[in-house]
Amino acid sequence: MTHALSLKAASQRWASGGLALKLAVLLALGVLVAAPLLRIFLETLGPDAIAAWTDVTASRLSRNLLWLPLANTMILGFGVAAGCVLIGGYLAWLVVMTDIPFRRTIGLMATLPFMIPSFATALAWGSLFRNSRVGGQVGFLEGLGLAVPDWLAWGIVPTLIVLIAHYYSLAFTVIAAALATVNSDLVEAAQIAGAKRGRILMGIILPVALPAIVAGASLTFAGAVSNFAAPALLGLPVRMQTLATRLFGLIEVGQTARGYVIAILLIAVSALFLWFGNKVISGRRSYATITGKGGRAKRFELAGARLPLFAVALAICVLTTIVPVLILIASSMAPSSSALFSNWTLHYWFGASDPAIAQGQAGVWHNPFILSATSLTVGLGVTVAVTGTALGLIVAFVLARHGRGPLAGAINQLSFLPLLVPGIAFGAAYIALFGAPIGPLPALYGTFPLLVIAGTAYLLPFAVQTGRAVIQQVSGDLDESARLTGAGFFRRMGAITVPLAIRGLAAGALIVFVKIMRDLSLVVLLFTPTTPLLAVLAYRYASEGFTQFANAITVVILVISIAATLLANRLQAKSQPWLKS
Amino acid sequence: MIRIQSLSKRFASFEAVRSVSLEVPKGAFLVLVGPSGCGKSTMLRMLAGLETPTAGTIAFGDEVVSDGDAGWGVEPSKRNAGLVFQSYALWPHMTVAGNVDWPLKVAGLAKAERQARVTEVLKLLGIEALGARYPNEISGGQQQRVAIARMIAPRPGILLFDEPLSNLDAKLRVEMRTELLRVHRATGATSVYVTHDQVEAMTMASHVAVLNNGEIEQFGSPHDLVRDPATAFVATFVGTPPANLIPVGPDLELVGVPTGAQAMFRPEHLRVSDKPRPGAIALEFAEASPMAGRTMITGTRGATRLTAVVDEAPDLAVGDTIYFALPSEPAAIFAASGERLK
Repeated sequence: MTHALSLKAASQRWASGGLALKLAVLLALGVLVAAPLLRIFLETLGPDAIAAWTDVTASRLSRNLLWLPLANTMILGFGVAAGCVLIGGYLAWLVVMTDIPFRRTIGLMATLPFMIPSFATALAWGSLFRNSRVGGQVGFLEGLGLAVPDWLAWGIVPTLIVLIAHYYSLAFTVIAAALATVNSDLVEAAQIAGAKRGRILMGIILPVALPAIVAGASLTFAGAVSNFAAPALLGLPVRMQTLATRLFGLIEVGQTARGYVIAILLIAVSALFLWFGNKVISGRRSYATITGKGGRAKRFELAGARLPLFAVALAICVLTTIVPVLILIASSMAPSSSALFSNWTLHYWFGASDPAIAQGQAGVWHNPFILSATSLTVGLGVTVAVTGTALGLIVAFVLARHGRGPLAGAINQLSFLPLLVPGIAFGAAYIALFGAPIGPLPALYGTFPLLVIAGTAYLLPFAVQTGRAVIQQVSGDLDESARLTGAGFFRRMGAITVPLAIRGLAAGALIVFVKIMRDLSLVVLLFTPTTPLLAVLAYRYASEGFTQFANAITVVILVISIAATLLANRLQAKSQPWLKS
Repeated sequence: MIRIQSLSKRFASFEAVRSVSLEVPKGAFLVLVGPSGCGKSTMLRMLAGLETPTAGTIAFGDEVVSDGDAGWGVEPSKRNAGLVFQSYALWPHMTVAGNVDWPLKVAGLAKAERQARVTEVLKLLGIEALGARYPNEISGGQQQRVAIARMIAPRPGILLFDEPLSNLDAKLRVEMRTELLRVHRATGATSVYVTHDQVEAMTMASHVAVLNNGEIEQFGSPHDLVRDPATAFVATFVGTPPANLIPVGPDLELVGVPTGAQAMFRPEHLRVSDKPRPGAIALEFAEASPMAGRTMITGTRGATRLTAVVDEAPDLAVGDTIYFALPSEPAAIFAASGERLK
């Protein structure tokens, strides 16, 4: 009797738990996320490959294979995290807490650098600061007759600067959002207690913002150690290696086992710090608004420091947004990057093939390779946006409806795992899994579907977040109140759910599209001549010395991504509470 | 003692406080009450020194602490005043004891002295067991107590409260009222308390200032306000239930009173019936609620709304006609503009 009852209860749990749906989603995530990562690990344990671990970590080669790149990677990680927290925190403080003029403008500009791909900033740096050390064209400053020292033209310093210029907006966004929740009552209460400005900053504001600062640091750290474009463009020519460039080089020359070992170590480094940051934050108490009511925005009066601080903020924003874009545009039209603003020609854009210029490469507009790359890249972006958003919505739905039990836990973990994996290591994992035929299935390497699958998996965390936001927005009371009117499922879908969700979904899809458009690190290893992608082409052109083409392609990527981002922001009416006055 | 003279505060084009003057003795419990946007919170922030008045002065005792005409004010921390924020403004990264301790630390007190004082005030508020907890680990009522403990720890001579009970549920609010009065008496300080809830004002205050549109409508004891309202606004704002105002016109003719004036009738002076009576006003029955052995009955018609407190209530359904009989003389008469005529 009891047995029958418990069986019945079990079968009810079966149905209500959506077990079949959960299993299907788990299977999909398993193939997309878990399998490549497991595979790359298993690959290095094979009898022929196991030696790669000792080669990399403890052999005569390991200094060059691992330790020097690791040292550079850590320098970049810590340097970028420190720089980003300082600059991002400074701007966030100005925008959120003070009476700085043009707060909105600065707040908006500080979010832009993250939309500009890091290879664009790196290319712009090269156009300005390149010296003759590695041959080829020199940059604008040398063209003016200034001698650019090697340390400023190549290697760790410019890589650091470019990465900080790219990632600080990430720190800004996180810290500004946190500061916006610091009730000005907290500051006034400290004022009444008699604390001076410095004491209020150190005793109240910084501790309250600390979790956000740690989050900003660990995110930018992970971004910097994973970044491929900047060290590849500015470091590789002078043999400065990071884990990301080392991984790329090893796979390019066919030493895949060693490459996989480096990839695993890179994942470990990046994940370790993200995990550590997360632990620091969750170990502390959440300081988010303790009460909902009260609190008004009273701004810190900067008085005499107002204009100097504004000038510094404006300089940072202009140098990291407008200047690199202008340099790229100018350099895509200047025959010589040593004279960026003279002899402009549209040859690199619209010219036909001319043996006298750039070894007969036709302008972007007439270059069939670039044109097909453009359509392929846009096609990939659209496809991944659709597949990613659909998958993200399904995952979010499953988690919202049947979010209990170990299966849901696994789905949740798997769907956010790609956040911890640097793009280039993810690419390596996909080569490990799909580089060879699996049973009856053909090898996918070099095919469009592989790019779609990899892109979908890589961006899944963002898509799931979109899906969650959308579901949160439409489910619950809104749907129930429609149900009480007697409207059926399809009626509710048509009248309530879809109209409410469509904007959020479209905005989320556009963000996925943009991320694919400007991504280099994921696709740089998956790239083959049959699947040319714009970002990889730009990188190839740049490393072969055709900077104008590289810059022109980058401008194309920029235009497409900025247009899509603006559209996404519009659709989303993006909530930036710290910009509200 | 607090003396406020011709105090005004203008934000850009908006005049939040207009020429307010009042004075309360040491140990008074002054309540500033009024609808939202009436300027009461701005008044409190000027008292705390968080805003500088545009005109007028504030003096604590013999010392002028804010002088709007000179554009000058004593710093918030040098006024010997403490403030409890509506949001409590507890520092989230400090424990309960840490919150209470920090202002003492800033003031430069020695450690032993601080510890003794922290223990003392936590005990006074009955939260000595919560010292090691963080603000988000305790309930709203407990947070409220911590905020009060933090305020009184440095022994301020003036206690300022900005709608401190508005985030609490009804039952806790009543408890905290008593608690606040106890703290007020225990410290012997002068308190200024801002609220939009006239019940709080009536139950707690020794002095009440009713504010509306940045001006004082009336300043006096709770008893004065109910017994002798100075304006139509005060008459309908204070008292439970507040008094009824009926426009003089077709419903109500009074000898020697111009049409458009308003006559005040107290709820306890009205009688109700389900049968028509000569001179009674016919309304639709809206609601009835028992209170302290009597019944409060409300009838409405259009914008007219009358409330009576009676011993015996007729048995009526919502929408039924109910007849309100008025006493022969109104308790007060106000002009259409609101000022008291007699």
